[in-house]
Amino acid sequence: MREDLRALLLVTLWDVRKVARYKVFLLMRFAWFIVQVSVFAVLISYLVTIRSLGTSGIGYYEYYLFGAYTALLFSISMFRGYEIAEEFEEGIIEYQLSLPIKRRILAIGRTIGGGIASFIYTLPMMLFILLLLGITNPVLIAIAVLSALAFSIGIVGLAINIVFGLKSGDKTDILFGVVDALLVRLSTIFYPLPFLSVFPPYFYAAMYNPLSNMADFLRALFFFQDLKIFIHAPPENLVSYIVGLSVGLSILAMLFIERRVEGGGWK
Amino acid sequence: MRSYARGIQIVVMRDLDRFWKYKWWLAGLITMNLTDLFIFALIFNGIVNRAYIDNYLLFIAPGITAIATFASAFSIGREVGVEVRRGYTQYLLSLPLTRFQLSIGRILGGALRGLIYQIPFIALLLILYWSIPSIEKFSIMIATSVMLTISMSSLSITISTAVRSFDLQATMRSFTYFVLFFFSNVFYPDALIRKYFPEILYIIISNNPVSIATSIYRWIFGVMPVEDPLILVIKMIIWCLVFFILGSFFYLRNLMA
Repeated sequence: MREDLRALLLVTLWDVRKVARYKVFLLMRFAWFIVQVSVFAVLISYLVTIRSLGTSGIGYYEYYLFGAYTALLFSISMFRGYEIAEEFEEGIIEYQLSLPIKRRILAIGRTIGGGIASFIYTLPMMLFILLLLGITNPVLIAIAVLSALAFSIGIVGLAINIVFGLKSGDKTDILFGVVDALLVRLSTIFYPLPFLSVFPPYFYAAMYNPLSNMADFLRALFFFQDLKIFIHAPPENLVSYIVGLSVGLSILAMLFIERRVEGGGWK
Repeated sequence: MRSYARGIQIVVMRDLDRFWKYKWWLAGLITMNLTDLFIFALIFNGIVNRAYIDNYLLFIAPGITAIATFASAFSIGREVGVEVRRGYTQYLLSLPLTRFQLSIGRILGGALRGLIYQIPFIALLLILYWSIPSIEKFSIMIATSVMLTISMSSLSITISTAVRSFDLQATMRSFTYFVLFFFSNVFYPDALIRKYFPEILYIIISNNPVSIATSIYRWIFGVMPVEDPLILVIKMIIWCLVFFILGSFFYLRNLMA
Protein backbone atom coordinates (compact mmCIF):
# COMPACT_ATOMS: atom_id res chain seq x y z
CA MET A 1 0.00 0.00 0.00
CA ARG A 2 2.77 2.37 0.99
CA GLU A 3 4.74 1.46 -2.13
CA ASP A 4 1.64 2.06 -4.22
CA LEU A 5 1.16 5.50 -2.73
CA ARG A 6 4.79 6.35 -3.34
CA ALA A 7 4.48 5.20 -6.95
CA LEU A 8 1.29 7.23 -7.33
CA LEU A 9 3.05 10.31 -6.02
CA LEU A 10 5.97 9.77 -8.40
CA VAL A 11 3.74 9.40 -11.45
CA THR A 12 1.63 12.38 -10.43
CA LEU A 13 4.68 14.56 -9.89
CA TRP A 14 6.11 13.45 -13.23
CA ASP A 15 3.17 15.11 -14.98
CA VAL A 16 3.06 18.13 -12.68
CA ARG A 17 6.79 18.86 -13.07
CA LYS A 18 6.36 19.16 -16.82
CA VAL A 19 4.39 22.37 -16.27
CA ALA A 20 7.64 24.31 -15.91
CA ARG A 21 8.76 23.13 -19.35
CA TYR A 22 5.84 24.77 -21.11
CA LYS A 23 6.40 28.44 -20.46
CA VAL A 24 5.82 29.39 -24.10
CA PHE A 25 2.68 27.28 -24.22
CA LEU A 26 1.36 28.93 -21.07
CA LEU A 27 2.20 32.42 -22.29
CA MET A 28 0.46 31.82 -25.60
CA ARG A 29 -2.63 30.40 -23.94
CA PHE A 30 -2.74 33.35 -21.60
CA ALA A 31 -2.38 35.79 -24.50
CA TRP A 32 -5.12 33.95 -26.38
CA PHE A 33 -7.38 34.12 -23.32
CA ILE A 34 -6.74 37.85 -22.94
CA VAL A 35 -7.75 38.34 -26.59
CA GLN A 36 -10.84 36.23 -26.05
CA VAL A 37 -11.88 38.15 -22.95
CA SER A 38 -10.92 41.64 -24.05
CA VAL A 39 -11.94 41.56 -27.71
CA PHE A 40 -14.36 38.73 -28.44
CA ALA A 41 -16.24 38.81 -25.14
CA VAL A 42 -16.52 42.62 -25.08
CA LEU A 43 -17.82 42.88 -28.65
CA ILE A 44 -20.19 39.94 -28.31
CA SER A 45 -21.57 41.37 -25.07
CA TYR A 46 -22.47 44.57 -26.94
CA LEU A 47 -24.11 42.49 -29.62
CA VAL A 48 -26.43 40.52 -27.33
CA THR A 49 -28.57 41.09 -24.31
CA ILE A 50 -29.64 38.57 -21.67
CA ARG A 51 -31.14 41.10 -19.27
CA SER A 52 -34.53 40.73 -20.98
CA LEU A 53 -35.02 37.50 -19.04
CA GLY A 54 -34.64 39.31 -15.75
CA THR A 55 -31.01 39.27 -14.62
CA SER A 56 -30.20 42.13 -12.31
CA GLY A 57 -26.92 43.90 -12.84
CA ILE A 58 -25.12 40.98 -14.43
CA GLY A 59 -24.75 41.24 -18.17
CA TYR A 60 -23.60 38.86 -20.88
CA TYR A 61 -19.96 39.77 -20.35
CA GLU A 62 -19.91 38.49 -16.76
CA TYR A 63 -21.96 35.46 -17.79
CA TYR A 64 -19.55 34.60 -20.59
CA LEU A 65 -16.35 34.99 -18.52
CA PHE A 66 -17.08 31.78 -16.60
CA GLY A 67 -17.93 30.05 -19.85
CA ALA A 68 -14.66 31.19 -21.42
CA TYR A 69 -12.70 29.88 -18.45
CA THR A 70 -14.51 26.53 -18.49
CA ALA A 71 -13.93 26.14 -22.23
CA LEU A 72 -10.25 26.89 -21.73
CA LEU A 73 -9.93 24.43 -18.84
CA PHE A 74 -11.63 21.80 -20.99
CA SER A 75 -9.37 22.46 -24.00
CA ILE A 76 -6.19 22.41 -21.95
CA SER A 77 -7.22 19.23 -20.15
CA MET A 78 -8.01 17.59 -23.50
CA PHE A 79 -4.68 18.88 -24.75
CA ARG A 80 -2.98 16.41 -22.42
CA GLY A 81 -4.09 13.94 -25.05
CA TYR A 82 -1.72 15.55 -27.58
CA GLU A 83 1.09 15.21 -25.08
CA ILE A 84 0.32 11.55 -24.54
CA ALA A 85 0.19 11.11 -28.32
CA GLU A 86 3.66 12.60 -28.49
CA GLU A 87 4.82 10.31 -25.69
CA PHE A 88 3.56 7.35 -27.72
CA GLU A 89 5.63 8.54 -30.70
CA GLU A 90 8.70 8.95 -28.53
CA GLY A 91 8.30 5.57 -26.80
CA ILE A 92 7.75 7.11 -23.36
CA ILE A 93 4.47 5.24 -22.89
CA GLU A 94 6.19 1.90 -23.55
CA TYR A 95 8.87 2.92 -21.06
CA GLN A 96 6.23 3.74 -18.44
CA LEU A 97 4.39 0.47 -19.07
CA SER A 98 7.67 -1.39 -18.44
CA LEU A 99 8.22 0.27 -15.04
CA PRO A 100 7.61 -1.74 -11.86
CA ILE A 101 4.43 0.22 -11.21
CA LYS A 102 0.96 -1.27 -11.23
CA ARG A 103 -0.97 -0.17 -14.26
CA ARG A 104 -3.88 1.10 -12.21
CA ILE A 105 -1.44 3.28 -10.28
CA LEU A 106 0.05 4.51 -13.54
CA ALA A 107 -3.43 5.35 -14.88
CA ILE A 108 -4.59 7.12 -11.73
CA GLY A 109 -1.27 8.95 -11.39
CA ARG A 110 -1.35 10.17 -14.98
CA THR A 111 -4.98 11.25 -14.65
CA ILE A 112 -4.46 13.14 -11.39
CA GLY A 113 -1.08 14.52 -12.48
CA GLY A 114 -2.50 15.61 -15.82
CA GLY A 115 -5.50 17.16 -14.10
CA ILE A 116 -3.35 19.12 -11.65
CA ALA A 117 -0.99 20.24 -14.43
CA SER A 118 -3.91 21.36 -16.61
CA PHE A 119 -5.42 23.25 -13.73
CA ILE A 120 -2.09 24.98 -12.99
CA TYR A 121 -1.94 26.07 -16.64
CA THR A 122 -5.33 27.74 -16.28
CA LEU A 123 -4.74 29.24 -12.83
CA PRO A 124 -3.54 32.64 -14.20
CA MET A 125 -6.69 32.83 -16.33
CA MET A 126 -8.91 31.97 -13.37
CA LEU A 127 -7.23 34.65 -11.25
CA PHE A 128 -7.58 37.09 -14.13
CA ILE A 129 -11.35 36.68 -14.36
CA LEU A 130 -11.76 36.75 -10.56
CA LEU A 131 -9.84 40.01 -10.60
CA LEU A 132 -11.99 41.37 -13.43
CA LEU A 133 -15.15 40.50 -11.51
CA GLY A 134 -13.79 41.78 -8.20
CA ILE A 135 -14.28 38.44 -6.42
CA THR A 136 -12.27 38.16 -3.21
CA ASN A 137 -14.16 35.69 -0.99
CA PRO A 138 -11.48 33.07 -0.14
CA VAL A 139 -13.96 30.29 0.66
CA LEU A 140 -15.75 30.64 -2.66
CA ILE A 141 -12.43 30.86 -4.49
CA ALA A 142 -11.24 27.67 -2.76
CA ILE A 143 -14.45 25.88 -3.80
CA ALA A 144 -14.00 27.11 -7.38
CA VAL A 145 -10.40 25.87 -7.40
CA LEU A 146 -11.38 22.43 -6.09
CA SER A 147 -14.24 22.06 -8.55
CA ALA A 148 -12.00 23.14 -11.44
CA LEU A 149 -9.42 20.59 -10.34
CA ALA A 150 -12.01 17.81 -10.19
CA PHE A 151 -13.35 18.77 -13.62
CA SER A 152 -9.86 18.84 -15.07
CA ILE A 153 -9.04 15.38 -13.69
CA GLY A 154 -12.21 14.00 -15.25
CA ILE A 155 -11.46 15.49 -18.67
CA VAL A 156 -7.86 14.24 -18.59
CA GLY A 157 -9.31 10.78 -17.84
CA LEU A 158 -11.46 11.15 -20.95
CA ALA A 159 -8.46 12.26 -23.05
CA ILE A 160 -6.40 9.29 -21.81
CA ASN A 161 -9.19 6.89 -22.75
CA ILE A 162 -9.41 8.38 -26.25
CA VAL A 163 -5.65 8.43 -26.97
CA PHE A 164 -4.95 4.98 -25.58
CA GLY A 165 -7.99 3.63 -27.39
CA LEU A 166 -7.26 5.16 -30.79
CA LYS A 167 -3.46 4.87 -30.78
CA SER A 168 -3.24 7.21 -33.77
CA GLY A 169 -1.98 10.79 -33.93
CA ASP A 170 -4.24 11.70 -36.84
CA LYS A 171 -7.41 10.18 -35.38
CA THR A 172 -6.67 11.77 -32.00
CA ASP A 173 -6.25 15.16 -33.63
CA ILE A 174 -9.52 14.87 -35.55
CA LEU A 175 -11.60 13.41 -32.74
CA PHE A 176 -10.37 16.00 -30.26
CA GLY A 177 -11.29 18.75 -32.69
CA VAL A 178 -14.79 17.35 -33.19
CA VAL A 179 -15.37 16.66 -29.48
CA ASP A 180 -14.15 20.15 -28.63
CA ALA A 181 -16.32 21.82 -31.26
CA LEU A 182 -19.46 19.88 -30.33
CA LEU A 183 -19.14 20.03 -26.56
CA VAL A 184 -18.26 23.74 -26.45
CA ARG A 185 -21.07 24.79 -28.76
CA LEU A 186 -23.67 22.41 -27.32
CA SER A 187 -23.23 23.80 -23.85
CA THR A 188 -24.03 26.90 -21.85
CA ILE A 189 -20.54 28.34 -22.46
CA PHE A 190 -21.89 30.96 -24.88
CA TYR A 191 -25.60 31.09 -24.20
CA PRO A 192 -27.92 30.59 -21.22
CA LEU A 193 -29.87 27.33 -21.26
CA PRO A 194 -33.36 28.89 -21.66
CA PHE A 195 -32.32 30.24 -25.07
CA LEU A 196 -31.65 26.69 -26.24
CA SER A 197 -35.20 25.54 -25.51
CA VAL A 198 -36.19 26.54 -29.06
CA PHE A 199 -34.13 23.53 -30.22
CA PRO A 200 -34.99 20.62 -27.87
CA PRO A 201 -32.09 18.32 -28.99
CA TYR A 202 -29.61 21.14 -28.33
CA PHE A 203 -31.31 21.95 -25.04
CA TYR A 204 -31.01 18.42 -23.60
CA ALA A 205 -27.49 17.94 -24.97
CA ALA A 206 -26.44 21.18 -23.26
CA MET A 207 -28.17 20.28 -20.01
CA TYR A 208 -26.18 17.05 -19.58
CA ASN A 209 -22.95 18.43 -21.04
CA PRO A 210 -20.05 18.45 -18.51
CA LEU A 211 -19.03 21.93 -19.68
CA SER A 212 -22.50 23.34 -18.94
CA ASN A 213 -22.45 21.86 -15.46
CA MET A 214 -18.98 23.24 -14.71
CA ALA A 215 -19.66 26.72 -16.12
CA ASP A 216 -23.06 26.94 -14.42
CA PHE A 217 -21.59 25.79 -11.12
CA LEU A 218 -19.03 28.62 -11.22
CA ARG A 219 -21.79 31.09 -12.11
CA ALA A 220 -23.96 29.78 -9.30
CA LEU A 221 -21.07 29.92 -6.87
CA PHE A 222 -20.36 33.60 -7.42
CA PHE A 223 -23.57 35.10 -8.83
CA PHE A 224 -26.39 32.74 -7.90
CA GLN A 225 -28.93 35.47 -7.10
CA ASP A 226 -28.25 37.31 -10.36
CA LEU A 227 -28.09 34.29 -12.64
CA LYS A 228 -30.39 31.73 -11.00
CA ILE A 229 -32.89 32.11 -13.84
CA PHE A 230 -30.31 30.57 -16.18
CA ILE A 231 -29.05 27.78 -13.93
CA HIS A 232 -30.90 24.55 -14.53
CA ALA A 233 -30.01 22.71 -11.31
CA PRO A 234 -29.15 23.54 -7.69
CA PRO A 235 -25.40 24.12 -7.12
CA GLU A 236 -25.09 20.90 -5.05
CA ASN A 237 -26.41 18.86 -8.00
CA LEU A 238 -23.96 20.56 -10.33
CA VAL A 239 -20.99 19.88 -8.08
CA SER A 240 -22.10 16.25 -7.63
CA TYR A 241 -22.10 15.92 -11.40
CA ILE A 242 -18.55 17.29 -11.59
CA VAL A 243 -17.24 14.96 -8.87
CA GLY A 244 -19.05 12.01 -10.46
CA LEU A 245 -17.54 12.86 -13.83
CA SER A 246 -14.08 13.06 -12.33
CA VAL A 247 -14.30 9.78 -10.43
CA GLY A 248 -16.10 7.95 -13.24
CA LEU A 249 -13.71 8.90 -16.02
CA SER A 250 -10.64 8.28 -13.86
CA ILE A 251 -11.90 4.77 -13.05
CA LEU A 252 -12.64 4.20 -16.72
CA ALA A 253 -9.08 5.24 -17.63
CA MET A 254 -7.74 2.96 -14.92
CA LEU A 255 -9.75 -0.05 -16.12
CA PHE A 256 -8.83 0.64 -19.72
CA ILE A 257 -5.09 0.92 -19.13
CA GLU A 258 -5.06 -2.04 -16.75
CA ARG A 259 -6.92 -4.44 -18.99
CA ARG A 260 -6.40 -3.45 -22.61
CA VAL A 261 -3.35 -1.29 -23.22
CA GLU A 262 -0.15 -2.74 -24.65
CA GLY A 263 2.95 -1.03 -26.00
CA GLY A 264 3.46 -0.58 -29.75
CA GLY A 265 0.89 -0.37 -32.55
CA TRP A 266 0.99 3.43 -32.66
CA LYS A 267 -0.12 4.89 -36.02
CA MET B 1 9.59 26.26 -68.48
CA ARG B 2 6.98 23.62 -69.24
CA SER B 3 8.89 20.92 -67.40
CA TYR B 4 9.34 23.35 -64.51
CA ALA B 5 5.59 23.84 -64.25
CA ARG B 6 5.12 20.07 -64.64
CA GLY B 7 7.36 19.54 -61.58
CA ILE B 8 5.23 21.94 -59.52
CA GLN B 9 2.10 20.23 -60.76
CA ILE B 10 3.42 16.83 -59.59
CA VAL B 11 4.02 18.18 -56.07
CA VAL B 12 0.58 19.82 -56.00
CA MET B 13 -1.17 16.66 -57.22
CA ARG B 14 0.73 14.54 -54.70
CA ASP B 15 -0.49 16.76 -51.89
CA LEU B 16 -4.01 16.72 -53.28
CA ASP B 17 -3.91 12.93 -53.55
CA ARG B 18 -2.87 12.69 -49.91
CA PHE B 19 -5.74 14.99 -48.98
CA TRP B 20 -8.33 12.45 -50.17
CA LYS B 21 -6.83 9.86 -47.86
CA TYR B 22 -7.91 11.92 -44.88
CA LYS B 23 -11.64 11.20 -45.14
CA TRP B 24 -12.11 11.34 -41.39
CA TRP B 25 -10.03 14.45 -41.16
CA LEU B 26 -12.35 16.10 -43.68
CA ALA B 27 -15.44 14.85 -41.90
CA GLY B 28 -14.05 16.25 -38.65
CA LEU B 29 -13.31 19.61 -40.19
CA ILE B 30 -16.72 19.90 -41.78
CA THR B 31 -18.35 19.00 -38.45
CA MET B 32 -16.39 21.74 -36.70
CA ASN B 33 -17.37 24.41 -39.22
CA LEU B 34 -20.98 23.26 -39.41
CA THR B 35 -21.31 23.38 -35.62
CA ASP B 36 -20.38 27.06 -35.79
CA LEU B 37 -23.08 27.62 -38.35
CA PHE B 38 -25.92 25.35 -37.30
CA ILE B 39 -25.45 25.31 -33.55
CA PHE B 40 -23.64 28.49 -32.48
CA ALA B 41 -25.17 30.86 -35.03
CA LEU B 42 -28.69 29.39 -34.79
CA ILE B 43 -28.81 29.65 -31.01
CA PHE B 44 -27.07 33.02 -30.98
CA ASN B 45 -29.68 34.32 -33.38
CA GLY B 46 -32.11 34.14 -30.47
CA ILE B 47 -30.14 36.50 -28.24
CA VAL B 48 -28.58 38.88 -30.73
CA ASN B 49 -29.64 42.54 -30.69
CA ARG B 50 -31.76 43.10 -33.82
CA ALA B 51 -30.58 46.71 -34.02
CA TYR B 52 -27.23 45.39 -35.21
CA ILE B 53 -28.04 42.18 -37.07
CA ASP B 54 -31.30 40.90 -38.52
CA ASN B 55 -30.31 37.30 -39.02
CA TYR B 56 -27.14 36.10 -37.31
CA LEU B 57 -26.99 32.86 -39.31
CA LEU B 58 -26.87 34.79 -42.60
CA PHE B 59 -24.46 37.29 -41.11
CA ILE B 60 -21.93 34.73 -39.90
CA ALA B 61 -22.14 32.32 -42.88
CA PRO B 62 -19.66 34.26 -45.12
CA GLY B 63 -17.22 34.46 -42.19
CA ILE B 64 -17.43 30.72 -41.58
CA THR B 65 -16.82 30.20 -45.32
CA ALA B 66 -13.68 32.33 -45.06
CA ILE B 67 -12.37 30.71 -41.88
CA ALA B 68 -13.18 27.22 -43.24
CA THR B 69 -10.21 27.55 -45.57
CA PHE B 70 -7.95 27.86 -42.55
CA ALA B 71 -8.12 24.32 -41.22
CA SER B 72 -8.04 22.61 -44.61
CA ALA B 73 -5.20 24.77 -45.94
CA PHE B 74 -3.47 24.31 -42.60
CA SER B 75 -3.48 20.52 -43.08
CA ILE B 76 -0.50 21.01 -45.39
CA GLY B 77 1.38 22.70 -42.56
CA ARG B 78 0.63 19.76 -40.31
CA GLU B 79 2.06 17.36 -42.90
CA VAL B 80 5.10 19.51 -43.46
CA GLY B 81 5.60 19.58 -39.69
CA VAL B 82 5.51 15.77 -39.50
CA GLU B 83 7.96 15.57 -42.43
CA VAL B 84 10.35 17.91 -40.66
CA ARG B 85 10.16 15.90 -37.45
CA ARG B 86 10.69 12.56 -39.18
CA GLY B 87 13.44 13.73 -41.53
CA TYR B 88 11.23 12.96 -44.55
CA THR B 89 12.49 16.11 -46.22
CA GLN B 90 15.68 14.20 -47.12
CA TYR B 91 13.58 12.01 -49.41
CA LEU B 92 11.94 15.07 -50.99
CA LEU B 93 15.36 16.59 -51.64
CA SER B 94 16.49 13.44 -53.45
CA LEU B 95 13.69 13.86 -56.02
CA PRO B 96 14.54 15.40 -59.42
CA LEU B 97 12.85 18.68 -58.44
CA THR B 98 14.32 22.03 -57.47
CA ARG B 99 13.79 23.31 -53.96
CA PHE B 100 11.76 26.19 -55.29
CA GLN B 101 9.49 23.80 -57.17
CA LEU B 102 8.94 21.89 -53.95
CA SER B 103 8.24 25.08 -52.04
CA ILE B 104 5.73 26.49 -54.54
CA GLY B 105 4.17 23.06 -55.01
CA ARG B 106 3.57 22.60 -51.28
CA ILE B 107 2.00 26.05 -50.89
CA LEU B 108 -0.24 25.59 -53.92
CA GLY B 109 -1.11 22.06 -52.78
CA GLY B 110 -2.34 23.46 -49.47
CA ALA B 111 -4.21 26.21 -51.25
CA LEU B 112 -5.92 23.70 -53.54
CA ARG B 113 -7.00 21.69 -50.50
CA GLY B 114 -8.49 24.84 -48.98
CA LEU B 115 -10.30 25.70 -52.19
CA ILE B 116 -11.79 22.24 -52.61
CA TYR B 117 -12.88 22.26 -49.00
CA GLN B 118 -14.49 25.66 -49.42
CA ILE B 119 -16.67 24.64 -52.40
CA PRO B 120 -19.49 23.09 -50.28
CA PHE B 121 -19.50 26.19 -48.07
CA ILE B 122 -19.82 28.46 -51.10
CA ALA B 123 -22.66 26.23 -52.31
CA LEU B 124 -24.21 26.60 -48.85
CA LEU B 125 -23.96 30.40 -49.17
CA LEU B 126 -25.78 30.25 -52.50
CA ILE B 127 -28.53 28.18 -50.86
CA LEU B 128 -28.78 30.28 -47.70
CA TYR B 129 -28.97 33.59 -49.60
CA TRP B 130 -30.89 31.96 -52.45
CA SER B 131 -29.20 34.18 -55.01
CA ILE B 132 -26.58 33.76 -57.70
CA PRO B 133 -24.03 36.59 -57.91
CA SER B 134 -23.18 38.24 -61.23
CA ILE B 135 -20.23 36.85 -63.23
CA GLU B 136 -18.12 39.84 -62.16
CA LYS B 137 -18.84 39.29 -58.46
CA PHE B 138 -18.44 35.54 -58.78
CA SER B 139 -14.97 36.04 -60.36
CA ILE B 140 -14.01 38.31 -57.45
CA MET B 141 -15.23 35.64 -55.00
CA ILE B 142 -13.08 32.96 -56.67
CA ALA B 143 -10.04 35.25 -56.77
CA THR B 144 -10.54 36.10 -53.08
CA SER B 145 -10.79 32.42 -52.17
CA VAL B 146 -7.63 31.60 -54.14
CA MET B 147 -5.68 34.39 -52.42
CA LEU B 148 -7.04 33.51 -48.99
CA THR B 149 -6.16 29.83 -49.32
CA ILE B 150 -2.65 30.65 -50.59
CA SER B 151 -2.23 32.94 -47.57
CA MET B 152 -3.45 30.29 -45.13
CA SER B 153 -1.38 27.52 -46.70
CA SER B 154 1.76 29.70 -46.62
CA LEU B 155 1.09 30.76 -43.03
CA SER B 156 0.69 27.15 -41.93
CA ILE B 157 3.95 26.13 -43.63
CA THR B 158 5.69 29.05 -41.94
CA ILE B 159 4.45 27.92 -38.50
CA SER B 160 5.22 24.24 -39.05
CA THR B 161 8.75 24.86 -40.23
CA ALA B 162 9.47 27.41 -37.52
CA VAL B 163 8.28 25.11 -34.68
CA ARG B 164 9.23 21.44 -34.48
CA SER B 165 7.43 20.07 -31.44
CA PHE B 166 4.10 18.36 -32.21
CA ASP B 167 2.22 19.87 -29.27
CA LEU B 168 3.73 23.33 -29.77
CA GLN B 169 2.69 23.15 -33.43
CA ALA B 170 -0.86 22.29 -32.34
CA THR B 171 -0.76 25.21 -29.88
CA MET B 172 0.54 27.61 -32.51
CA ARG B 173 -2.10 26.39 -34.94
CA SER B 174 -4.87 26.98 -32.39
CA PHE B 175 -3.40 30.31 -31.37
CA THR B 176 -3.21 31.53 -34.97
CA TYR B 177 -6.74 30.29 -35.56
CA PHE B 178 -8.09 32.17 -32.55
CA VAL B 179 -6.19 35.36 -33.35
CA LEU B 180 -7.44 35.29 -36.95
CA PHE B 181 -10.93 34.41 -35.76
CA PHE B 182 -11.36 36.79 -32.80
CA PHE B 183 -9.49 39.69 -34.41
CA SER B 184 -11.79 39.56 -37.40
CA ASN B 185 -15.28 40.69 -38.32
CA VAL B 186 -16.57 37.11 -38.60
CA PHE B 187 -18.65 37.34 -35.40
CA TYR B 188 -19.43 41.04 -35.21
CA PRO B 189 -20.20 43.84 -37.68
CA ASP B 190 -17.51 46.44 -38.47
CA ALA B 191 -19.80 49.20 -37.17
CA LEU B 192 -19.82 47.66 -33.70
CA ILE B 193 -16.01 47.35 -33.63
CA ARG B 194 -15.65 50.95 -34.73
CA LYS B 195 -18.18 52.18 -32.17
CA TYR B 196 -16.68 50.54 -29.09
CA PHE B 197 -13.00 50.01 -29.87
CA PRO B 198 -10.12 52.42 -30.51
CA GLU B 199 -9.50 53.26 -34.16
CA ILE B 200 -6.18 51.40 -34.20
CA LEU B 201 -7.86 48.15 -33.13
CA TYR B 202 -10.55 48.66 -35.73
CA ILE B 203 -7.85 49.10 -38.39
CA ILE B 204 -6.09 45.90 -37.26
CA ILE B 205 -9.31 43.87 -37.18
CA SER B 206 -10.66 45.13 -40.49
CA ASN B 207 -7.34 44.48 -42.24
CA ASN B 208 -7.00 40.90 -41.06
CA PRO B 209 -7.06 38.66 -44.21
CA VAL B 210 -10.04 36.73 -42.85
CA SER B 211 -11.95 40.00 -42.28
CA ILE B 212 -11.08 41.21 -45.77
CA ALA B 213 -12.31 37.97 -47.36
CA THR B 214 -15.44 37.99 -45.16
CA SER B 215 -16.23 41.59 -46.15
CA ILE B 216 -15.83 40.69 -49.82
CA TYR B 217 -18.18 37.68 -49.46
CA ARG B 218 -20.70 39.82 -47.55
CA TRP B 219 -20.55 42.45 -50.26
CA ILE B 220 -21.06 39.81 -52.96
CA PHE B 221 -24.19 38.46 -51.24
CA GLY B 222 -25.48 41.89 -50.31
CA VAL B 223 -25.23 41.42 -46.53
CA MET B 224 -23.10 44.51 -45.94
CA PRO B 225 -22.25 47.35 -48.30
CA VAL B 226 -18.57 48.07 -48.98
CA GLU B 227 -17.20 51.49 -49.89
CA ASP B 228 -14.71 50.24 -52.47
CA PRO B 229 -14.41 46.48 -53.13
CA LEU B 230 -11.28 47.10 -55.24
CA ILE B 231 -9.41 48.33 -52.17
CA LEU B 232 -10.31 45.11 -50.36
CA VAL B 233 -9.08 43.03 -53.30
CA ILE B 234 -5.80 44.97 -53.35
CA LYS B 235 -5.34 44.38 -49.62
CA MET B 236 -5.98 40.68 -50.19
CA ILE B 237 -3.33 40.61 -52.95
CA ILE B 238 -0.82 42.22 -50.54
CA TRP B 239 -1.54 39.67 -47.79
CA CYS B 240 -1.28 36.84 -50.28
CA LEU B 241 2.12 38.03 -51.50
CA VAL B 242 3.46 38.63 -47.98
CA PHE B 243 2.42 35.18 -46.73
CA PHE B 244 3.59 33.50 -49.95
CA ILE B 245 7.06 35.01 -49.59
CA LEU B 246 7.19 34.10 -45.89
CA GLY B 247 6.00 30.54 -46.50
CA SER B 248 8.47 30.00 -49.35
CA PHE B 249 11.33 31.44 -47.32
CA PHE B 250 10.68 29.24 -44.28
CA TYR B 251 10.11 26.11 -46.33
CA LEU B 252 13.34 26.70 -48.28
CA ARG B 253 15.20 27.39 -45.05
CA ASN B 254 13.88 24.12 -43.68
CA LEU B 255 15.02 22.22 -46.79
CA MET B 256 18.48 23.74 -46.57
CA ALA B 257 18.77 22.83 -42.89
